[in-house]
Amino acid sequence: MATDATHPLEDIERLGVYQVYTGTGTGSGFLIDATHLLTNCHVVQPYREVAVEMRDKTRIVGRVRRVHPHRDLAILELARPVDGEVLALSDGAHLKPKQPVHILGFPVGLPLSLTEGVISHVRQLLDEQFFLQTDAAINPGNSGGPMLDDQRRIIAVTTCKLNAAESVGFGIPIADVRQFVEAFHAQVVPFGVHCPTCDELIDRAVRYCPSCGADLETHHDFGDYFEAPELHPLTVFVERALAESEIDPVLARHGSHNWSFHVGSAPIKIWCCCSEHLNFSSPMAQTPNKGLDELFGFLLSAEHAPYGFDLVGSTVRLNLVVHISDVFAPDEHAHLVERVRKFVHKADAVDNLLIQQYGCQPAPETQTEQLKSEHGA
Amino acid sequence: MAIASLQFPPPIRRRLTVAPRDYERRDRAVELFEAGELLAAVHETLGYLLPALSPHDLAQGPLCFVQGTARVRLRLEDGRLVVSSALMAMREGAQATAVLRYALTRLSATGQLFQPRLQEGVLSLEFGDRLSLLHPLKLIEVLQRLPTESDNHDGWLQQRFGVDAADREPLAALEEAELALALEIWRAHWEAVDRLLLESRRRRSVRFLDSLGSWAANQVRYALPLHGSVRATLNEAADEFTDKDENPNRRDTALSRCCREMRQVGEEELRRCLGHASYAINPLHEGTPSLLSSVLGGQRLQTSGELRAAGRYLESALELVADYLYLLADHSWPETIDHKLQAALAEVSGRPWREVAATLWSHANQIARQFGSSAGGDEEDNDGN
Repeated sequence: MATDATHPLEDIERLGVYQVYTGTGTGSGFLIDATHLLTNCHVVQPYREVAVEMRDKTRIVGRVRRVHPHRDLAILELARPVDGEVLALSDGAHLKPKQPVHILGFPVGLPLSLTEGVISHVRQLLDEQFFLQTDAAINPGNSGGPMLDDQRRIIAVTTCKLNAAESVGFGIPIADVRQFVEAFHAQVVPFGVHCPTCDELIDRAVRYCPSCGADLETHHDFGDYFEAPELHPLTVFVERALAESEIDPVLARHGSHNWSFHVGSAPIKIWCCCSEHLNFSSPMAQTPNKGLDELFGFLLSAEHAPYGFDLVGSTVRLNLVVHISDVFAPDEHAHLVERVRKFVHKADAVDNLLIQQYGCQPAPETQTEQLKSEHGA
Repeated sequence: MAIASLQFPPPIRRRLTVAPRDYERRDRAVELFEAGELLAAVHETLGYLLPALSPHDLAQGPLCFVQGTARVRLRLEDGRLVVSSALMAMREGAQATAVLRYALTRLSATGQLFQPRLQEGVLSLEFGDRLSLLHPLKLIEVLQRLPTESDNHDGWLQQRFGVDAADREPLAALEEAELALALEIWRAHWEAVDRLLLESRRRRSVRFLDSLGSWAANQVRYALPLHGSVRATLNEAADEFTDKDENPNRRDTALSRCCREMRQVGEEELRRCLGHASYAINPLHEGTPSLLSSVLGGQRLQTSGELRAAGRYLESALELVADYLYLLADHSWPETIDHKLQAALAEVSGRPWREVAATLWSHANQIARQFGSSAGGDEEDNDGN
């Protein structure tokens, strides 16, 4: 076993493990080559396009190429090559109980984190499938991330844990992962779903598997993989507004009825706080120690309506609140979409103003590199 | 020495007599809005919320109504409805930075449709939108929340930050006899809270602390027409000492601190904060049969009865008293129920704990049976305080 000073997991930031964002949640995934990411099927379903976030917080589109609903695996094709280190797949030999396991992922949406434990069982049978069982901590957001051995080789893919028990987590054995990846390398169709009964790859919506004749509608909502997911009217409204603000909605998705993205230097978050309000907020700057009267007077000025500013601690936020009844007034969507578009552009403009004119500091989530280039421009 | 009884003199705060909400008017407003009758929908919404005001045509001119010390103004402006209520005016010598920071941290927020706006030195709460984006449910939310916020931040901003009042409705002064009684109620109340707090610490019971905190806050809300800085300070403290999710030690400390602060309030300051106000929109929650059942019936009443049967009269009585005060302080009721609840408190005023527990238990049982929901108690997640 390597010493701490030379441990192969000392610098996890350069490893090709990334966070995956969809309209239902977030998960983890790892590179199998520069343009392909492997994750869990349940992380990406029912979407055909998802967002993958790089270390610098920029996101790129990942197009779903292959899913195995039963084995809970999926492969995404990234919009461009990325330079994270591709981790090697173990051959799965010599795994034994008590052997150390290292889990990489994004638990509860936190930045890339490492948790550790041991193999509790090499081949645990659960729901008619074998899993690698571990006592290492697994949390929502870890799904799809790699389980590594001491030599930094992938020995399983994190998939689930038993909620009714403590320290009982499961990974998809590397042999199944290898088989899935090798089959993908031979794939010629743009998208395919494995038959849950015979593993045949199916590339179109059919009721019965052409190979084994299994009734696919009884398995894992099979037909849904070939149809665009039905979106809630609120999602339709927000994503239309984002598209017209030149923001890619796929890249902005951050779980159910949540979106997050940057416009220039300004971070923007969109969420529903209750059943009545859709909030748009940009935590854009932090207050200075001097000149506060002038700054506060500016923030409270009526000229900003319908937008408003508030202070959370020392962070200045620009806000827009949309009532849910507005979302269900389609005749007014054009007007509201314009309101959102102006909000997005105002956020980008005002954070510069607050920093340059009022002596504010960038907020923790401000894209300071972008800020510098905007200043330079 | 342990406290032997509590006094419940008739409230100086005037009971509101409000007609039950006419939900058909609200539904009619929605129908009008969906039919594109936008201004008519606004008028119908106003009729639903402000039935006591004569029908007002906003196209003919602005409307102003009073909610406590807040004056709320509605006007049409370029196809938009603007709702605003001034809070205060800046002046030389005021703590400008502090008051503006307060506005940005406590009055501005995500999740609310109105925001504070500063224009020519006057800070107002303001909301405005196109008529076509004024669904009645949205307008109802604005008209219920904005005036309440404005009323809650009246004299308090002036007293704490030294700013001037702006477009506020003055309180009607209490008569001398009312004032003398109010001061006596105040003094006796906080003295009793202080002594019961000692009892609470001796018992180390969270359930007792729950009752004590609820009673401490609601007795004042029920009995006194309190406004301004004293009400704001009390409400802020009550948010903490009645919060059942908060650590009991912190709640105990918050109640103790609040009691100390309230006992230190000078007569002059208290006089300034006492006065009668009128409300165009019912500021209380509408009491419902299911609320009566859940607070005065079911498991809650059974437990209270068990405490009494076990000889724990003080706990049983304080719980029942706190529940009655919660129902009266925070809710409006049909006159019959309102009178019965008040009469029960008057009956047990100054009586020993054992009698209070027995009388209120029987009374609560009767009220819940007579006016509660037929479904029985516990179906509403509201334990009263």
